[in-house]
Amino acid sequence: MDAVQFLQNFLNGISIGSVYAIFALGYTLVFSILGIINFAHGAIFTLGAYLTYSLAVGQFGIGGLLADLQLPFQFSFTISLFIGAILSGMAGVLVERCAFRPLRTRGADPLLALVSSLGVALVTVNLLQYLVGSEIYSFPSDVYGDIRPAFLLHIGEKLVVVRTVQIIIFAVSMVVLALLGYLIGWTRIGKALRAVAENASTASLLGINVDRFILYTFFLSGFLGGMAGSLVGTSFGIAGPYFGVSYGLKGLAVIVMGGLGSIPGAVLGGMVIGLAEAFVPSEYSAYKEAVAFAFLFAVLLIRPQGLLGSSQIQKV
Amino acid sequence: MDQFLQNYGFLLVTLVQQSLLAYSLYFPLMAGQLSLASPGFYALGGYIAAIMATAEYFAPWRDALGWGIFPLGWLAAGIISGILALLVGIPALRLRGIYLALATIAFVEILRVICLNLAITGGAIGIFGIPQLFESRWSYIWTFGPLLLLILCFSYRLDRSRVGRAFKAIREDELAADAMGINPTRYKVLAFVIGAVLAGVVGAMSAPFLNTWNARQGTFDASIAYLAYVLIGGSRSMWGPLLGGIMLSALPEILRPLKDARLIINGLVLVFASIYLPQGIVGAVGSIRNFTTQTLGIGRSEK
Repeated sequence: MDAVQFLQNFLNGISIGSVYAIFALGYTLVFSILGIINFAHGAIFTLGAYLTYSLAVGQFGIGGLLADLQLPFQFSFTISLFIGAILSGMAGVLVERCAFRPLRTRGADPLLALVSSLGVALVTVNLLQYLVGSEIYSFPSDVYGDIRPAFLLHIGEKLVVVRTVQIIIFAVSMVVLALLGYLIGWTRIGKALRAVAENASTASLLGINVDRFILYTFFLSGFLGGMAGSLVGTSFGIAGPYFGVSYGLKGLAVIVMGGLGSIPGAVLGGMVIGLAEAFVPSEYSAYKEAVAFAFLFAVLLIRPQGLLGSSQIQKV
Repeated sequence: MDQFLQNYGFLLVTLVQQSLLAYSLYFPLMAGQLSLASPGFYALGGYIAAIMATAEYFAPWRDALGWGIFPLGWLAAGIISGILALLVGIPALRLRGIYLALATIAFVEILRVICLNLAITGGAIGIFGIPQLFESRWSYIWTFGPLLLLILCFSYRLDRSRVGRAFKAIREDELAADAMGINPTRYKVLAFVIGAVLAGVVGAMSAPFLNTWNARQGTFDASIAYLAYVLIGGSRSMWGPLLGGIMLSALPEILRPLKDARLIINGLVLVFASIYLPQGIVGAVGSIRNFTTQTLGIGRSEK
């Protein structure tokens, strides 16, 4: 591999890796507070992509119940992305109310939360299929307004191609990461969230309304999931209502990689897996889908606490 | 009767088959290990049987053995699944709880991608035209049925044996079990291998039953379906996986008139069952029985 090829792979890798990072952060936030993995996160990812699509394009394809519907309004891509993510955040809150809170108040086995969150995912995905059909949706090429589709970097004789979408994805992800970092590290809400994550019952003794902060967490998680879905959707198209499932599983690989519940870990894990996938040689590209899981398996066997996680000592 | 079997024979066999897969998850869970690896071993077993039944290389074997190639396939699937489970299980079972579940999800996905890309497994198309063991679909009850009976007897005996008690001790408290002289790793790996062998054999039996075999047989969705069978049936009773497997896999068929909405209802059932039946159906029946005996004084008391 020469330097130019390396640069090309590297740019592709950090672009997709940044989306993996914000998507995986959605898992991480919920895990750090509840110690449970929200298996509806992949469905929220899908939902976000469809919401942004519908707001930006204003109409749907040939299949499903909404086939001939034309929305009376249409937003610019930036606004659609934002509203889509907000609505996904609300869907995240709904997931909390339907699948997690009833189990928590009953003190049920945490394993059941796995089944109930998957139940919600099943409902969401099939409802989407019912409404918008199962064909592939791609965002129109002029959705970002009047900018060129790609930038070409000439390095000697060689060419490095950077698609505009890749730059947008990277930039949006970085802004979201910075804002989230600020929110969690430097605001009162963030302080309370960290307190709840540290120890929920102590936090509630200190006057923090734990249930409310769990709702906030699910909102943030849904926001990040929906945003990631929209970004992936603009780049590769929305390959039917089930397209979130594989990203949902890959997101698990990312959070384990960085360490369950660790926020910097999720970002690092996303980048590592994005880069690893980008550097898979083209003759083995069929195995690209397995890369994240190979990493997941290897990390669990060698360093189960993840790259940035701290090992837990079990107290008796 | 003939008409009934023609219409519902396939469904009947499917219910038994799905319950068997629920047991493949139940055994590790009995030792407190949440393993979602079953679909991987199920797919592997199916591929082994399908390759033995169709590949050129095995043609002389088929000529020599006749229908005997099928039981040989079950045996091969069981043994290979067992060995693979041992190899994967020994390092993976150091992990607890959700970490083990994630490792097994990764295992299933890696296996799926490999099967999708190898020539011997037929790539994305898979293996089709697998020779049939019986002429009609419902006759497969003669392979799945006895296996289910065997598993039920096995679970019944396991519940009351040293190994079964060790499993339950580990489930309740691994450290305490260790302190009592039980070797947790040994029993955890054993439980994992039992589940894997069962899933592999069921896969090998299913390949001729389903006629085609491809990478869609072993997916994450299937893992969760099996987990739902066990949890909603009742994970603390040997009857739970049977009940859950039969009821939940019959559900999409019962809802068939609803067409597109049936998977939505299926999802809602999962949500409501996990909220309102935390001990599973068997647990709910148990608490109704306790209620009638203790409060109303009807019937014989459990203990």
